[in-house]
Amino acid sequence: MSIEVSGGRRGLTDPVLAAEIMAAIPDQPLETQRKMNYFMTPRGKRINEYEVLCCYTQPTPDWIPGGLDWGDWTQKFHGGRPSWSNESTEMRSSDWLKHRDPAFRWHALYVKDKAEEWRYTDRFLKAYSADGHVRSMDPVWRDEVLGDYLGAFGFSEYGLFNSHSSVVRDCLGDTLRMSSAMIGLDKVDNAQMIQIERTFLAKLVPGFPESTDIPKNEWTKGVIFKGSREVVQQIWQETYDWNEILFSGHMIYDPLFGQFVRREFFSRLSSYYGDTLTPFFINQMQLYFSQTKGITTDMFHTCLAADEQFGDYNIRLMRAWADKWLPRTITSLKDFMGIFSKIPEIKGVSDKPAIEAALGRVFDDWKHDFADPIGYKVDTAALIKTVLTGLK
Amino acid sequence: MAISAATKAATDALAVNRAPVSVGAQEVHRWMQSFTWDFEKNRTKYSTKYKMANDTKEQFKLIAKEYARMESVKDERQFGSLQDVLTRVDAANRVHPKWNESMKVISNFLEVGEYNAIAATGMLWDSATAPEQKNGYLGQVMDEIRHTNQCGYINYYFAKQGQDAAGHNDARRTRAIGPLWKGMKRVFSDGFISGDAVECSINLQLVGEACFTNPLIVAVTEWASANGDEMTPTVFLSIETDELRHMANGYQTVVSIANDEAASKYLNTDLNNAFWTQQKYFTPVLGMMFEYGSHFKVEPWVKTWNRWVYEDWGGIWIGRLGKYGVQSPASLRDAKKDAYWAHHDLFMIAYALWPTGFFRVTLPTAEEAEWYEANYPGWYDMYGKVYDEWRARGCEDPDSGFLPLQWFIENNHPIYIDRVSQVPFCPSYCKGASTLRVLEYNGKKHSFSDQWGERMWLSEPERYECQNIWEQYEGRELSEVITEGHGLRSDGKTLISQPHTNKDGKMWTLDDIKKINCVFSDPLKAL
Ligand SMILES: [Fe+2]
Ligand SMILES: [Fe+2]
Repeated sequence: MSIEVSGGRRGLTDPVLAAEIMAAIPDQPLETQRKMNYFMTPRGKRINEYEVLCCYTQPTPDWIPGGLDWGDWTQKFHGGRPSWSNESTEMRSSDWLKHRDPAFRWHALYVKDKAEEWRYTDRFLKAYSADGHVRSMDPVWRDEVLGDYLGAFGFSEYGLFNSHSSVVRDCLGDTLRMSSAMIGLDKVDNAQMIQIERTFLAKLVPGFPESTDIPKNEWTKGVIFKGSREVVQQIWQETYDWNEILFSGHMIYDPLFGQFVRREFFSRLSSYYGDTLTPFFINQMQLYFSQTKGITTDMFHTCLAADEQFGDYNIRLMRAWADKWLPRTITSLKDFMGIFSKIPEIKGVSDKPAIEAALGRVFDDWKHDFADPIGYKVDTAALIKTVLTGLK
Repeated sequence: MAISAATKAATDALAVNRAPVSVGAQEVHRWMQSFTWDFEKNRTKYSTKYKMANDTKEQFKLIAKEYARMESVKDERQFGSLQDVLTRVDAANRVHPKWNESMKVISNFLEVGEYNAIAATGMLWDSATAPEQKNGYLGQVMDEIRHTNQCGYINYYFAKQGQDAAGHNDARRTRAIGPLWKGMKRVFSDGFISGDAVECSINLQLVGEACFTNPLIVAVTEWASANGDEMTPTVFLSIETDELRHMANGYQTVVSIANDEAASKYLNTDLNNAFWTQQKYFTPVLGMMFEYGSHFKVEPWVKTWNRWVYEDWGGIWIGRLGKYGVQSPASLRDAKKDAYWAHHDLFMIAYALWPTGFFRVTLPTAEEAEWYEANYPGWYDMYGKVYDEWRARGCEDPDSGFLPLQWFIENNHPIYIDRVSQVPFCPSYCKGASTLRVLEYNGKKHSFSDQWGERMWLSEPERYECQNIWEQYEGRELSEVITEGHGLRSDGKTLISQPHTNKDGKMWTLDDIKKINCVFSDPLKAL
């Protein structure tokens, strides 16, 4: 027969082709090592599917620690700057490919989770609307706080999202790159969920402004988000070191400012104002926060701080970065305190002692999860005191 | 509206309509363009000589959650097929051995392109100013992660289920040994990420995706399925469903810079360089993988090339961009000439260097020789008769002590490496258009095979100085290089690569190579 086959004949199903193929196949498999990436060191007992599909996809030479390739880059930037280089960050590592998402999510697992969240969101919104739940929502909370300030917070999430673009370009490892893209996508998802909520409210409450104009005005010109806007801009556009971007965003700013705004303000207060809608979205954001925390603490604590060769140096650098980013984050929280004068006070919920307790929870968490692991000395009581001076 | 009136309105509205209400992705996307804000330092970290417009739109209108939903539906189908029926019918063991070998390379090398496209589109997400455009690139960042994982999955699947796992199981480590790797990095790695951001977009989307990914991903599925491989079509066609958005991203990038003055000055030069860069590698490598890496043939590569590259891309796709001043690249004609013989020239070299591969290669059989001669008249006199000679000297047999590389040396046909593309060529024995040009720079000699690469070099040598495999391996003995690059199977002595796929043929070991005492030398030193 001719070896040129046409008409879409398939070797698997066409008996003539299949017979010829089968005759060529060795009687026994030629190789017994069937595990892909068998040469790598797994994080757990054995190499898992995430590690098979993600690890060593980064084609860096061995002078970038962890790389398996050799030699130079085949094309460089104008002027000769290399494709990827150790100089892109002040952090040092003996293996840039060591990071793992603790949940071992490769692309398919990541989108599967988010797809479920989307389907459930759709069902929830339908039930919420048909149930007439929106009638119980306090109008000031709804129109001023959700319409204006929740919308404005969306810009913080959107700016943080954009801070991941250069990380995705510059970082030195495959799992780092994939994780950074995923935690970046979660941030734009947060911004979009805020707009979903506002669009949804506009459908249920005639006259509720769906447009982003008012929130954007609040974000860019208002005083409540002034400090946070500046920090976000600095993380997004003024910081070039990809590790510093991740560290300032996910190890300082978001666990303090983001956590207070999401968990202690919007989520905690909403139920007091008859709002069961906002917690639905915030809870998703909090899920993303906890997944992101798993990722970035793996990057900075499990990998960089514990690096046998460079751990001490990295820890010192992280502390220096904390010194740089913490005061700005405190200012952003202090500015945010202005929001409490915009809502009707509820005793034990939104008065000063309650706010102080809320700040206490956020700072305690941060100290425990982010500061202590790198031996960063911090007087949280003093920081809280500074933040509280922002109360009007 | 007064607040209490609004609440009343909500209550009244509910009284009229109790139908469930939700929010669709597009209702959110329509606000996307307003998500950004102006501030003093809002500019990209990656410089480009072009200015991308602030109001660039994006047509797919996805939001994060809708993206995830769409992709997970595709994943369910794809992984369902792979894990269910294809596994039950033992499909990986019904693939022609030659094609099993080709997929070691194709899937892994495509993975490199997909992986670097993550970083490339990260850069474009950074350099675009319009949120919709950023969003389009973000979607692509995620897609390219998906494709990286999918390509890995093919090697993973073939390793776990198939007839020869070696190479599938460690391609990410062993690929760096051989002569095809550095060229791969030029087109699919550094070419996407290192340079002017728009230039990179042109390399990735306008040429890489719009021109070569189609043949690579779509045509490869036809060759795969003819040769018994249904895994590859299952995965690659699923990859291809995302590519439409990527080509649209590339199109929008051109639209976004169309009104910029820089576009009229530089765009066509950047496009010409990108086209030549990509084609210089893909034209020969794809043709070689298809024709020499298969048993059953679908059609001569030159026909595929003319249809996909010359007519569809050079004509229709570029034609659509004509209104933005984009012209068909000047190098397209030279590329067309090369598309006839370049893959035959490259296969000769690749076969001669077989011990440095991570896959088994096969000399054309008698019936294949006939097919080549029928489709490429003159093939036998140039290539076929040399293969007969090699075979007669025992090139497939480990006891022969003969490596085809010796033939090149004996006949004084040095193999050079084009500095800019990193593609090997033999100027004294080829039918393609390669001619030797040698330039000195920074105290070193550099060889080039064509005028287009030489031009790129002359204007910016600092971008392309990368050392080549001859310089790296100079003075070293072949078996040492193989060992160092982990080119051995799990028994610790048999080579992963072999010069045949004959199931009854003997396999070469490291000792067989050692006996020959083949030492690398850089032909540029002899000049
Ligand atoms: Fe892709
Ligand atoms: Fe793509």
